[in-house]
Parts: sequence; C-alpha cells; structure tokens
Amino acid sequence: MVPLPFFLPFAELEVGQHLYWQVGGYQIHGQVFLSSWLVIGALLALVVAGTRKLERDPRGVQNLLEFIWGYLRDLSREQIGEKAYRDWLPFIGTLFLFIFVSNWGGALVPWKLIHLPSGELGAPTADINTTIALALLVSLAYFYAGLSRKGFRYFEYYVEPTPIMLPFKIVEDFTKPLSLSFRLFGNILADELVVAVLAFLVPLIVPLPAMFLGLFTSAIQALIFATLAAYYIGEAVHEEHH
Amino acid sequence: MSFFLTIPALLASEGGLGLNLDLFETNIINLAIVIAALVWFLPKVLGGILESRRAAILSDLQDAEQRLQDTTAALASARKDLAEAQKKAELIRSDAKARADALRLESERRTVEEMARLKHGAVADLQSEARRVSEQLRLEAARRAVDKALASLPGKLDAEAQARFIDQSINSLGQA
Repeated sequence: MVPLPFFLPFAELEVGQHLYWQVGGYQIHGQVFLSSWLVIGALLALVVAGTRKLERDPRGVQNLLEFIWGYLRDLSREQIGEKAYRDWLPFIGTLFLFIFVSNWGGALVPWKLIHLPSGELGAPTADINTTIALALLVSLAYFYAGLSRKGFRYFEYYVEPTPIMLPFKIVEDFTKPLSLSFRLFGNILADELVVAVLAFLVPLIVPLPAMFLGLFTSAIQALIFATLAAYYIGEAVHEEHH
Repeated sequence: MSFFLTIPALLASEGGLGLNLDLFETNIINLAIVIAALVWFLPKVLGGILESRRAAILSDLQDAEQRLQDTTAALASARKDLAEAQKKAELIRSDAKARADALRLESERRTVEEMARLKHGAVADLQSEARRVSEQLRLEAARRAVDKALASLPGKLDAEAQARFIDQSINSLGQA
C-alpha cells in the first residue's frame, strides 16, 4: 500500500478511530449512536409531520410518505407473498427507511463540520455493529416468521427438496446474516473511504463522481437489504404445495 | 436506567466537541455541489412522479364521486319508475277487477236468462208436443170412425136409404 502523503498541510485521514463511551461493562461507539439518533429523529419527524393532518387530497409530505409506503408494500408483497406480507411490512419498511436515510445522511450531511474528540460522525451503517444488529434482527425475524406460521413443520424446509440439502441449509442460516451485514457495511464504508481519500488527494471536483456513485449505491444497498430480508421471511413462511 | 443517566455525563466528560470550519478537511464545497445538484434534480423527477400520483388519485376520487352521483341519480329514477309502475299495476289491477266483476255479473245475468229461455222453450216444446199428440189422436179416432162407418155401410145402404140420404143431403144443401 502506498503511504498516504501526510506532509500535505490541509487534511488528515483516520480510520478505525471511535468515540468510545463506557456503558456498564461495554465500550460503545458513541458517534454511531449519535448519528443513529439523528437519523431516527429525522425519520420520526418526517413521519409525524406527514401523518399529522391526513387529507383526501395527498399533498406534500403526505404524498411522499404514501408513495414510499406503496413502494414498500409492493416490495414486501412480491417477496413475502399475499398471505403474510401484512405482518412484515412494518419491519421491512423500517429496515429500508433506516438504512436508506442512514446511507444518504452519511453521504449528504456535512458531518465533519462537527468535531468530535475522537472518531467522526457518519452513516450509522458504515459501522459493522449496526449492520450486524440489523442482520441478526432479520435472522430472528425469519425464524420467528417460519415457526409462528408453521410450528415445527418449519424445519421441513431444511430437508426440502432432499435431505442432502440439510447441511447447506444449516450453513445458510449463518451465511445469511453474515452476507447481509458485510455487504451493507462494506459498501457504505468503502464509499465513505473512497470519497475521503479522493477529497484528501484532490479536494475539489474529483470526488464528485464518487459521491454521486455513492448516493446511487447507498440507495441500492438499502433496497437490497430490505428485499433480501423480505425474501428470507418469504422463504420461511412459504408453504410447499405437495 | 444507568444507561440514560450516563449519557449527559459521557458527553460532558469527553469534551472537545466543537465546530471544524476547515474548508477542505470537511469536504464542504463538494457536498454543497452534490446537495445543490440533488435539490435541482430531485424535485423534477420525484416531484413529477408525486404530482402524477396525486393527479391519478384525485381523478380516481372524482371518478368515484361522479359514479356515486350517477348511481344515486339512477337509483332515484329507478325508484320513481318503480313507484310509477306500482301505481300503474294497482290501476291495472283495480281496472281488471272491475272488468272481472262486470264480466261476472254479465255472465250471471246471461246464464240466468239462458236458463229462463231454456225453461221456457222446454215448456213450449211440451205444450206443442201435447198438442201434436192430441191432434194425432183425434185424427186416428176420426180415421177409425170412418173405417167403421165404411165397414158397416154396405149392409145398411140400400136403394131406399140411398135415396133418403141423397134427399137429406139436397135438403141440407138447400137450407145452406
């Protein structure tokens, strides 16, 4: 790896620095919590503002929220199926909105204006802890969905279509959260790093294409995460027709 | 609980929170360009989609309202027609009842008349038959009397009696 030109006077790049908070016996990444709360606050404010005065004529924020809701409903109905998608639409929608707003917030809000003692603010999804938490929630969700809908018949899924599939299906239960979390984390962190490195090398104009590409991939990643979560849940609740 | 209590303490204890106004380190110029581009671009795309969605919803609502109105009007006119038809049906029924009553009375009257006529005819038939029979009986009696007279005549009728008879006949002619 080429050593970064640290002699340049105007910039410094740091990776793996965190604002540590000590809570109980745990050290937590404070900057992730701060930006997560901001994202959650922004989402809540948007939703409250959009739904406070619902009208027949959808205008402004209400129209936007209805549009997003329709989009998410179509997504989950397509992946989960007509029967069960209503139970899981809130979960899928929350995942999508949180990840999407996190990604775009990380890419668009000038976080670096705020100087922290250590580490820097950014997209919550650029931290592996956030994405692993989300992915484990998805795992829990699809187990719960399958078990609550089918009882112990859920485990038939592991030996279908043939019992040879059993080890693969078991391994899948571990790879699903792994791939979900690493994909999201890697994409967002890589995007932030690329922009940071480019801005560090050439401060003006050159990072712009990477930034726009970052916006695009951020949106795509949110969509992928939500779609895959819905797909896993749909797979768990799917009834084989013998 | 301790978690929430520690947060302000954490924020305070760390210190060093502040603004970083370095133009290049914060990448603020590029971000401003990106945000400006989005502000310029997003309302066009998203605004167009949202506006067409709103227009579609509004036109759907208007359609539904129009259909409701039309259907209400149709219902009202159908109700009116129904009422009219019922009135008409009532009229026809009462009319038909009146006609049926009239027909029944008429036919009763005719039946009575017919029966009377038949009775009358039967009596007349009986009388004419009796008359015919008595006529026949009378003719038969006359024929029998003539036969008897003719049978007994040759024995009684001689020249003298014949002459007397002729005279008597001439006398009766003369008297007439």
